[in-house]
Amino acid sequence: MAVSPLPRIQRPGRTLAVVLLSSAATLMAAQPAFAAGTRAGTTIANTATASFDNGAGTQNVSSNTVNLKVDELLNVTVASNNPADVATTPGATGQVLSYTVTNTGNGVESFRITGVGNVGGDNYDPTITSIVIDNGNNIYEPGVDTVYVPGTNDPNLNPDASVTIFVISTTPGSVSDGNRGIVQLVAAANTGTGTPGTSFAGQGEGGGDAVVGATGATGQDRGAFVVSTAAVALAKAATIVDTLGGAEPIPGATITYTITATVTGSGSVTGLTINDPIPANTTFVPGSITLGGVAQTDAADGDAGRFASGAVTVALGTVTGGNVRTVTFRVTIN
Amino acid sequence: MRLFFLSIIAAFSAVPAAANPVALTNDVFVERVSTDADGKRKVVLEEPKVVIPGDRLLFVLNYRNASARAAERFVVTNPMPSAVQFAEQADDMALVSIDGGKSWGQLAQLRVPDGNGGDRPAQTADVTHIRWAFNQPIPAGASGKLMFRGVVK
Repeated sequence: MAVSPLPRIQRPGRTLAVVLLSSAATLMAAQPAFAAGTRAGTTIANTATASFDNGAGTQNVSSNTVNLKVDELLNVTVASNNPADVATTPGATGQVLSYTVTNTGNGVESFRITGVGNVGGDNYDPTITSIVIDNGNNIYEPGVDTVYVPGTNDPNLNPDASVTIFVISTTPGSVSDGNRGIVQLVAAANTGTGTPGTSFAGQGEGGGDAVVGATGATGQDRGAFVVSTAAVALAKAATIVDTLGGAEPIPGATITYTITATVTGSGSVTGLTINDPIPANTTFVPGSITLGGVAQTDAADGDAGRFASGAVTVALGTVTGGNVRTVTFRVTIN
Repeated sequence: MRLFFLSIIAAFSAVPAAANPVALTNDVFVERVSTDADGKRKVVLEEPKVVIPGDRLLFVLNYRNASARAAERFVVTNPMPSAVQFAEQADDMALVSIDGGKSWGQLAQLRVPDGNGGDRPAQTADVTHIRWAFNQPIPAGASGKLMFRGVVK
């Protein structure tokens, strides 16, 4: 349309304040959901046109064009990638929690990352040994992923882009079963943070201002470890049956030993083995080993029990807390 | 949806004299909401140079028939800027388009293909244009104001 825009009226510094009461709810309704929003630096140009006929046929006119520049909105979110507590053990090193940092603003921005091990609300403080930037596969690979150095390799993210951050911790040796330790990850826009609406003149992408968004330009989330240990209690009982039908420990009497292994705690024990040398002056009854009521052979073979070098050995393997294993075997008194 | 509009706007919305028989001017304000000491919500209209995503914009179109003759079949059309999502119109007279200006209607009556052979009710995000088509001629010397709202995407 070949119509030149009308001249723009200059009305500098004009601000109009109006109190709206009943209509305020209407005005605030239906805010659409934005991801990152229009890219910072974009110009929004609005022009209207009119057509009419005042006796000389249809004519068209265009309005002036109003140009608005889109400022950079500073927003960031942090989300833990460990919805459930991660099991750890006392003194364990290289304990990993994972977080996703997302630039929810509308301009490219770099973010300062901080790990906090002493946030409270837990039983112990994990000792943070390093923060590591993932190489894109969401798997912690020591020596492959990049160790984060604040101010040196702050993640630089495009709008809507994310990076996975790993926080590596050591669990103190003094913790006990069931203790929780929280690690908080904080990401803050390097341009600046503050209350929403805070503006940093000229620091936005595309030359506009940078304005702190609803997130305060800082995000944080928490992940947690839970200490998971197990303890084993062994109890041994003996019953005697003598050759006279009584229960006296006389030569020829048979002693049945019952060994009970009770595992407690939220964790598990691995490689649990019961090893019991038979008493002096007794003779092992071949084929008498049972585990959980199931007979075991004396040979070192596929089953858990064996008898060798004067001792009964039963390999229980991995046993989780809350389980009981019962072993029996018999000897006769010489 | 009928909006509550502010008579005070008229105080500064002068339309310039122009060579065109009909003058059309365009102002865009951003509505910034704040709460005063008494807890009342205030909406401050500012004429912005910069905006941020989520800002609510009030578009004001002023027209004036500067000619000596009535302007008939008067139609004002405003395409939505691509970075602005239509929010609401100020009057029942405005019609919207969801297909780039090919067809027009009240938003509640328009439907959008859902890609599965059916359709769904049109939403504000679908609006591409807003238009006012006057039934009555605009008398010589008459003027008026048209308004709608949008949100910076």
